[in-house]
Amino acid sequence: MPLLAACGGSESGSGGGTTSGKNAKKILPAYVASNVVTPDIPAKNGSAMGFTGKLDVATLKSSVPKKLGKGGKVTIMSPFWGSPPKQSCAYYTAANAMIGVDVQWQNQDGNTYDQKLGAVLASSDIPDVVVIPGWNMTGRIPSAIAGKFADLGPYLSGDKAKEYPNLAAIPSDAWQRSIFGGALRGLPQPTESAANIVPLYRRDIFDKEGYEVPKSADDFMALCKEITNPRAKRWACGDMKWTAFNNFGVFSGAEKPLGWNLVDGKLVYRIETPEYLEALEFARKLMAAGYVHPQFKLGKSQIGDPAPLFAKGEFLIWNNNLVNWYGQQASQAAQNPDFKVWGMDIWNHDGGNPTLWAANPAGIFAFVNKKASESVIRDVLAVANVTAAPYGTKEWMMTNYGVEGTHYTIKNGVPVKNDTGNNEVVNAYVMVASPAPTIAHPDFPDVTRAMVEWEQRMGAFTRKSSFWGLQVAEPNRYTNLSDNFEQLEDDIVRGHKKISDMQQAVSDWKKRGGDKLRDWYKKLLDENGSAAS
Amino acid sequence: MSHSTVPRTSAEAGTTVESPVASDDVTGAREARRGPGKLGFRLRFRRDRTLLLMTLPAIVLVLVFNYLPILGNVVAFQDYDPYVSDNGIVAMLHSPFVGLANFQEIFGDSAFWNAVQNTFVLFFVQLLLFFPIPILLALLINSVVRPRVRAVAQAVLYLPHFFSWVLVIAVFQQMFGGAGMLAQLLRQHGYNGIDIMTDPHTFPLLVTAQSVWKDAGWGIIVFLAALASVSQDLYEAAAMDGAGRWRRMWHVTLPALRPVVALLLVLRVGDALTVGFEQILLQRDAVGPDAGEVLDTFVWWNGVHNQDFGYAAAAGLIKGVVSIGLVLAANKVAHLLGEQGVYKK
Repeated sequence: MPLLAACGGSESGSGGGTTSGKNAKKILPAYVASNVVTPDIPAKNGSAMGFTGKLDVATLKSSVPKKLGKGGKVTIMSPFWGSPPKQSCAYYTAANAMIGVDVQWQNQDGNTYDQKLGAVLASSDIPDVVVIPGWNMTGRIPSAIAGKFADLGPYLSGDKAKEYPNLAAIPSDAWQRSIFGGALRGLPQPTESAANIVPLYRRDIFDKEGYEVPKSADDFMALCKEITNPRAKRWACGDMKWTAFNNFGVFSGAEKPLGWNLVDGKLVYRIETPEYLEALEFARKLMAAGYVHPQFKLGKSQIGDPAPLFAKGEFLIWNNNLVNWYGQQASQAAQNPDFKVWGMDIWNHDGGNPTLWAANPAGIFAFVNKKASESVIRDVLAVANVTAAPYGTKEWMMTNYGVEGTHYTIKNGVPVKNDTGNNEVVNAYVMVASPAPTIAHPDFPDVTRAMVEWEQRMGAFTRKSSFWGLQVAEPNRYTNLSDNFEQLEDDIVRGHKKISDMQQAVSDWKKRGGDKLRDWYKKLLDENGSAAS
Repeated sequence: MSHSTVPRTSAEAGTTVESPVASDDVTGAREARRGPGKLGFRLRFRRDRTLLLMTLPAIVLVLVFNYLPILGNVVAFQDYDPYVSDNGIVAMLHSPFVGLANFQEIFGDSAFWNAVQNTFVLFFVQLLLFFPIPILLALLINSVVRPRVRAVAQAVLYLPHFFSWVLVIAVFQQMFGGAGMLAQLLRQHGYNGIDIMTDPHTFPLLVTAQSVWKDAGWGIIVFLAALASVSQDLYEAAAMDGAGRWRRMWHVTLPALRPVVALLLVLRVGDALTVGFEQILLQRDAVGPDAGEVLDTFVWWNGVHNQDFGYAAAAGLIKGVVSIGLVLAANKVAHLLGEQGVYKK
């Protein structure tokens, strides 16, 4: 309780903390499972549910029998990857009509979202709803969330959630992550806890050339050597840093609290571990040996999308988010029928089973402005209740595919998006709240099955670190402490800095507050316990 | 500007008031200001009100966008948290003051000194390799007589100025990157490919080359204007005295350019700490901050990226103060060399 009081007392939450156990139970929504269609592959080991079967669009059920929207206007700012359609497009119009709320989208470039977010939250003109991904919650954003956004507890805690059945069907661990500053403020997008960075590879080229999927660091090096031929404009891989972390069992780098773990009774941060340095050294070697496509040497600000280079076969192995397994396959299907992308199992560097660290059960959240009136909040919840509808409902189909005839057509019993669909039905509504983790791509059943099975195999090797599942806000004085480590990692991998620079930075980090931060986390753990059992 | 403009303005404004200030001599003007012939404020206001009215929109813009934000520098002395209250401005009133703590930290921050060093290196490289090029180009263009050739050449030179930095750098990457045309050409002929875009050692040269390609053509406009104002009589007279092509350039053209060159040099020195924000930000990661961090990107990284606004504002304030010093110094040097500089007392 003391920590809850510490952050609940002052709205800004500058002291940081988390909420778990009994205190969390009091505010979590009641869980009422709902599945309209039985998944073909049930969730296991922290994987998503997989749906591979065909869908009879004509007989879809509705999960929202009564329109809950009251016709109000709601502005939503959300990250968007690609070029957003006009507000007047058919997708927005149809989805708004189904929900009964006039949603006005303020789509912002997802790649530079963090640069806008800080300024928008500091202004007095915050939209009704702001969508914030976990990876953008750097610096003081967590304290801004606690200070600027509404407590949804009065509308959703306990049995109140039953008014919004699709929200009540969102798993409790995703809601647990939505507690910011002691109150339920986020509408979550649940995600699978199994590893989500997969080394994708061009299976068509591997099969043709007879390349074997590697099982250890040495295998991988040898394979890269075999593949790389700059004269023919072919390199083995992209920047493998994130996969290297998995190969060496480094604690998760997705969010700061996930990087802390109890080792022999002492909390250790990921940058302090020998595995961290070994992984960086491995990724550095790949780049130094010339196996990495030169485009990746440009770093984060790299100009141009690597996807066309991957499609052209300029490089064959690309660590990427799992969703892009389907994304890459689908985007090339029409013009390049031989193209086949597949995911490698993550190998441990010594050839044994990998040690993977779980991702959090929800990573992206929608927040409602503190100043919003009750009717606006109700309308937002009406939007979320539609977007969180499970697979196999009319609402899911609208959110993910749009309108039949306009955005997709049914071919062989499978919905296929047309150009309008590909242009308009992207991001937007899916960003507000989603159902329990689902992988459902009826157009590529074999890819869908492979994705879910990959998650299940990797999930078996996945462990939960000490703060998994909690929403932790670090105290303001420590929030900038680890700011420059990602930059330093990238510099080392690119040969601009040495491993010894990292060792120096870690020892500076300890002196500048890292050791105090460790004490703070230890106290947090002692008082709250772990969410992972 | 000097006082000699005042009587000219009054004549243009059509008033009949006679002004005693008619000399270019600065001391004379100063005496006149104190003297009995000085116009009263109301009279001057009535005389100039049309002009004042016309400058009003510009003054408002300068006030709102240049002067008002100066107040924001107060966060450099705070542990500023923009989220403690309703908006970022009110938050200034609620953030605790920390005195000079931000400055203390900055002066002990090796990343800051690294950024300062990179900024100066880039400034000097650009001064040496970029600054003279528009002058040379202007002389070259000026020597082209046929108007059509000249127009085409100018258009070709100006065009890259209108490309965005993203585009310019993408073009450079296609040409000189690790998988670019040059690298592939070398590889096809049995050599090792080179990657100029990610080499920290040659980064200042790369950045300067990009600037030259993009903006050198645009930079000639001012010099062309100066050249156009040179009287043809001078050239004819020099030719009559037997001056050849090079002598005419040395004794007529270059002296005519001198005031403009001095003015631009003063402006450039005053701007020394600003060495191309967008261009560098886009390439910072490619060479790493050790080579690619300059003061502006340092401020951006700490402020916008890390949301450590107080710290970033302190760095920005230091930059501003140093820049003022540089302008004053450069202006002084210009005066010593007998040029007008940016302003005169």
